Amino acid sequence: MLAQIVIVTVAALIAPTLVRFLGRRAFLLLAIVPLIPFIWALSLSDEILEGEILQQNIPWIESLDFSIAFELDGLAWIMVLIVSGIGALVVFYCNYYFTDASRGLRSFAAYLLAFVASMLGLVLANDLLLLFLFWELTTVFSYLLIGHNAESKSSRRAAMKALMVTTAGGLAMFVGFLILGVQVGSMEISVILDAEPRGSLITVAIALVLIGALSKSALFPFHFWLPSAMAAPTPVSAYLHAAAMVKAGIYLIARFAPAFADVEIWRPTIIIAGCITTLIGGWQALKQTDLKLMLAYGTISQLGLMAIFFGVGTVEAAVAGLALLIAHAVFKSSLFMSVGVIDRATGTRDIRRLHGLWNAMPLLSIGMVLSALSMAAVIPTFGFVAKEAAFGSLAAEWGNSALWPILTFVAVFVSAVLTAAYALRFVYGALSGSDGAASPVRVRPRPLLSQAPTAFLGLFGVVLGFWSIKPFIFLDPYADEFLDQQGNAAAQFHNEVILWHGFNLIFTLSLVALVLGAVMFWQRKRFAKLQAMLHQPISADGIYHGIMRGIDRFAVEVTGATQRGSLPLYLSTILIVVIVIPGTLLILSPNWFGNFVWFESPLQPFVGVIMIIAAIAAARSRRRLRAVALLGVTGYGVAILFAFNGAPDLALTQVLVETVSLVFFVFAMRRLPTHFSNRPLRRSRFLRLLVGVVFGATMAGVTYVAISARTANPISDDFAKWAYEVGGGKNIVNVILVDIRAWDTMGEISFLVAAATGVASLVFIKRRNARIVRPTDLEGPKQVWGLDDTMTLSVRQSVVEGNEASDREGFTWLRGGATLAPERRSIIFEVVTRLIFHTMIIFSIYLLFAGHNRPGGGFAAGLVVGVALLVRYLAGGRYELAEALPIDAGRILGIGLMIAVGSGIAAMFYTGTMFQSEIIHFTWPVFGEVKLVTSLFFDIGVYLVVVGLMLDVLRSLGAELDIQMEDEGEDSGDSVPVGSGVSSES
Amino acid sequence: MNELIASVFETPVINYRQLSPILIILGAAVISVLVEAFVPRANRRVVQLVLVFLALITAIIWAVTGAGQQAITGEGAIAVDGPGTFLQITILIVSVFVAMLMAENRLDPAGDAFTARANSLPGSEDEREYTNRGWTTTELWPLFLFSVGGMLLFVVANDLLILFVALEVMSLPLYLMAAIARRRRLLSQEAAMKYFLLGAFGSAFFLYGSAMAYGFAGSIRLGDIANAISALPGPNGLIIAAVALLSVGMFFKIAAVPFHMWAPDVYVGAPSPVTAFMASCVKIAGVGVLLRVMYVAFSGLAWDWRPLFWIVSIVTMLVATILALTQTDIKRMLAYSSISHAGFLLIAVIALNPQGIASTLIYLVVYATATVGAFGIVTLVRGPSGEATHLSQWAGLGKRSPLVAGGFAILLLSFAGIPLTAGFIGKFTVFGAGIAGGATPVVIVGAVASMIAAFFYVRVIVLMFFTDPAEDGPTVVTPSPFTGIAISVSVILTVIFGIFPQPLIELAEKASIFIR
Repeated sequence: MLAQIVIVTVAALIAPTLVRFLGRRAFLLLAIVPLIPFIWALSLSDEILEGEILQQNIPWIESLDFSIAFELDGLAWIMVLIVSGIGALVVFYCNYYFTDASRGLRSFAAYLLAFVASMLGLVLANDLLLLFLFWELTTVFSYLLIGHNAESKSSRRAAMKALMVTTAGGLAMFVGFLILGVQVGSMEISVILDAEPRGSLITVAIALVLIGALSKSALFPFHFWLPSAMAAPTPVSAYLHAAAMVKAGIYLIARFAPAFADVEIWRPTIIIAGCITTLIGGWQALKQTDLKLMLAYGTISQLGLMAIFFGVGTVEAAVAGLALLIAHAVFKSSLFMSVGVIDRATGTRDIRRLHGLWNAMPLLSIGMVLSALSMAAVIPTFGFVAKEAAFGSLAAEWGNSALWPILTFVAVFVSAVLTAAYALRFVYGALSGSDGAASPVRVRPRPLLSQAPTAFLGLFGVVLGFWSIKPFIFLDPYADEFLDQQGNAAAQFHNEVILWHGFNLIFTLSLVALVLGAVMFWQRKRFAKLQAMLHQPISADGIYHGIMRGIDRFAVEVTGATQRGSLPLYLSTILIVVIVIPGTLLILSPNWFGNFVWFESPLQPFVGVIMIIAAIAAARSRRRLRAVALLGVTGYGVAILFAFNGAPDLALTQVLVETVSLVFFVFAMRRLPTHFSNRPLRRSRFLRLLVGVVFGATMAGVTYVAISARTANPISDDFAKWAYEVGGGKNIVNVILVDIRAWDTMGEISFLVAAATGVASLVFIKRRNARIVRPTDLEGPKQVWGLDDTMTLSVRQSVVEGNEASDREGFTWLRGGATLAPERRSIIFEVVTRLIFHTMIIFSIYLLFAGHNRPGGGFAAGLVVGVALLVRYLAGGRYELAEALPIDAGRILGIGLMIAVGSGIAAMFYTGTMFQSEIIHFTWPVFGEVKLVTSLFFDIGVYLVVVGLMLDVLRSLGAELDIQMEDEGEDSGDSVPVGSGVSSES
Repeated sequence: MNELIASVFETPVINYRQLSPILIILGAAVISVLVEAFVPRANRRVVQLVLVFLALITAIIWAVTGAGQQAITGEGAIAVDGPGTFLQITILIVSVFVAMLMAENRLDPAGDAFTARANSLPGSEDEREYTNRGWTTTELWPLFLFSVGGMLLFVVANDLLILFVALEVMSLPLYLMAAIARRRRLLSQEAAMKYFLLGAFGSAFFLYGSAMAYGFAGSIRLGDIANAISALPGPNGLIIAAVALLSVGMFFKIAAVPFHMWAPDVYVGAPSPVTAFMASCVKIAGVGVLLRVMYVAFSGLAWDWRPLFWIVSIVTMLVATILALTQTDIKRMLAYSSISHAGFLLIAVIALNPQGIASTLIYLVVYATATVGAFGIVTLVRGPSGEATHLSQWAGLGKRSPLVAGGFAILLLSFAGIPLTAGFIGKFTVFGAGIAGGATPVVIVGAVASMIAAFFYVRVIVLMFFTDPAEDGPTVVTPSPFTGIAISVSVILTVIFGIFPQPLIELAEKASIFIR
């Protein structure tokens, strides 16, 4: 079986080359290809009729239980014959339909044969995944075939519509298959059918599979894609839309019917969809004036009919459905091909313009008439045989006292009437009609062979009809399997697919239907008026377009609303989600009433309130500087809280950090506009405010709950003991830093070094100036921080004189002072600086050494040095900074890091563990007894790193920015230069 | 030496063999920094390339030969188990191809995809000067290696702190890498800024969640948290909030809706090779970790977090695919596609069964394979001002260069999950796991989303093959072997995994057990 598919696939691969050399004649050669599986199937007819089932199984993906499994049973056998037989005729017909000049003929040939191959695969597959695979392949190739005339927009859209609908259905079916596979534990179709699983999940699965089947076979509510697909070249319609693709859904229903017909949703779904489809199709077919559209709607009507009979669930009905399927494949392909010939011969398919074909192309006309008779179910065609069987199988259900068989029968009967009417209309319109006769066309007869397929199939319909004088035994294998699977093997199937049942009720009804159809045709003008009056309020096509437009619209709107590239918007979304989800969980949390101490002293809430006010004011501030200052207030507030809670060391550090960061902010802000950018007052602002406030409240709530829900003891409870006994210090914070968590500190100071380097390298864009310029190296004018024009000349003059007078005294408080612009000097500041600088350095050294037991430590001590340097810089300018510490900051950082690492490594040699402290007691003259904890050396490293960081920041954000601003001031006189890298926000 | 310490702190046992891939990559990253510092500019590119590929390949060899030796090491902080090793190897292999895309320097007449000097102002005289001198941002390579190293650690991290550290090691270099595009630099910098700010929020949520999980369980180890949860008598707000916050952090990383907003902007702004890196490797790492955390630590709370994951998965699949419909920029479309894949992957997380793990691994492999190729092809289609990413510019590409367009079509079909491509196997296994795990409704939504997704993928294919090329359309530039190999391998693997996925599936199934 695989071989058959492979042969056709290979033919598809070489088809373009053949077409290239032979032109359209290649189709004559290629027509042989589908005959190979046809003959193969015929050669197996004895085995199949004896009830044998041929299987082939090649493992493919074992873990997914996915194998290339094929099965040829009665149903598949009939499908293979239809698919390959009609396929061969259609390929043959292509030779006459196309010209050598037709565009894209090479790819068309390949797609058509590939479609044949996938269709064969679809009907032979015995594995759900394989079935799905071929199912999707038929979708893809049908898309390519329908869209063959890719230049025309309607063609592309029709192709897209067919693709959308069938792919959507296919995916639904895929999920259904997956559920079936997971539930049964096998993907093999025959296994699943034998297992007959039941349950609510299976019902869901069946519903999904049915969606796939309905969409593929253009059944209501998916019927609308088929008429659009008539944009395809006629051979495609003749094949895909009569014999092959649209039958895939019916095939699937037929395949599943034995095992799942008694699932509760099976019958109502299929029968209702089928009835609506068959009536809509018949009704619409009568409205059309385009022959091809008439056939398309006729096809829809017939597909609905077939579905009904597979939906009923009895073996008789299913067999009748299969007979209908065969009859339809034969007559409808014949008719489609005839339309193609007419189109080519006259250039139109409009029945109002066609006439006189009978004389021009008699062979075609005979074929058309025979096929139309089969369509209308006139004795002795096979169409009649099938419809008799169908009527009979429904009539057999009447006795069940249920209403549905009767209603269904009415629908089927009406459908038969409509079919008879549009069959007549079709033949009459195409061959001899002169209704309207608007500009009748000239007929250029086509080659006889191009008419042959129509005639052949038309005749074949009659042959099959006569064949059925004896029961039509080819349906027996399917019937037997059907009974087998229903566990009804004992029941004997009685084949009712016979030409002549005798003159009974059913036959009478058939006749009545024909007569009514004829009457309708006779009264066609009145009927057309009636149809025109009843216009459709909504159509499935309209709904489809509505959904498509809606999705597009929705996508545009949502993109516009959410994806504007606006950071505040993105952030708000994220915050809202966090508020909604963890926030809701928070409110539902059982931990709301834990032991929570609100405050211990009235000063705490007091400071808290001040901090809150400062925070709000900071957020509201429009001046950058004010915002930073207010931010500082909150920071100092934290320091006070630390102090109240008995952590003076933390408070000290916090104060220093706040001070230093405030100064850094101020430095950096010299390069920024004084105000935040001006935004128009908008309502969204308040929305953002709301989001911010609620988010803050949520996080506060989370913190509160977290604290209340605490069950374990804090690890820090033991720190006090360890800090003293092991770390040898009373200042727990310091011991944590240099001993208990020395590794963390190590990481942090490494980070500090990296950050300092980073800041410096951002500011020193072009060079890392290593040269320290001291005041004594400097020649030239005194101009640091010059104010240029802001001061009148006379004032400046007096200031200069005053300063020079003091310099002349021969005593300099700060050497850098002389480098400042005269108006910037402050003698008092210089004096104070001179006085306190050294004191601060001493103090820092004290803090460094005392830190282990008292507030202080390397970090705080380093910050104190930083503040001291800062004071020098502010009082004496950048040259004074160089004077204060004439060492490259990088060196200090490096040495500090080296000492820190070195002390850790030394400890390893000494104690065996990195950063392990040792407490050494010894007596030193003058100092007396000394208790030296080795972690001190580590602390010294920290100290140096902090000092280096401070110096680096002062030199980059302070001194280097000074230079840059002065340079730019000279260049352009512009006092607000463009920022470096970070552009100003205006 | 004090006895107290000795009893409390023991020297951690570290299985260097199991950690070797991480150590190799991070070690190479450090060397790579030194290369930047000491090797003359003219030779840096070559040295860096040799170093990077050598490191990646060595790490792959070590990881592959060491696979199967499971170990919990680093005091329980790291679990080198099946999924972890599988993901590590996947990340490493994908990284090789991403590195190839990054190494490409023949597409742009001015050099590779990265700016001459990141700190020169866009459009300034400086920038021109450095471009003329032929400088490139070789700093890319240490950043890349650090990020890869972070990912390798991320997927085997067994406690929340290591997870966080790895997350940052992975993310921080990415923020920088996103900022250094050669073309459209302001867009690139803006993208990096957004990525950084929002990423910082994501990380903060993760950290907050970790803290709360610690507060609840008294341990940051995933296994201990699971034990604490199983010992839990009733509902506990702390751990639920922790799960929610941790999930938010991870949703952010994998760009699940509604935490996806950064992704389209960043994917478009970042240099395409970096986008490929983010879309493939970050997603692998992020989903891998999400899977580990949810399976190992929080499976006991499944009833609580599953509804959330259902919603996020459904919303992600639907919103991302629908939004992708209207995109007119190919990179943006791929970005939304990448977002929607996160939704599909969440189905496997929801499944909470061994198939869920295996299918995630499979899905990640096939998704990453196709992603690298797709972004690689995006770099090839160029106009006068760099990549031509507007969809209309891709019209008729199939007529101009059928090979490239054909490859792209295959990758798109794989994204859509059409049978015979790798994407189908991914979707199939994930859907199967989802159904087995009781998430059938999500799977059905997934099928609907696949359908919508198929629509926009097919639309691009139609555009490429069935419309006429524009007059002044872009050209497809012939790349160096780097990009050529990366794209070809991606396309070929996509087909091979589609037709012969058996080995991949077996590997994934073998690797589908977490240890704790």
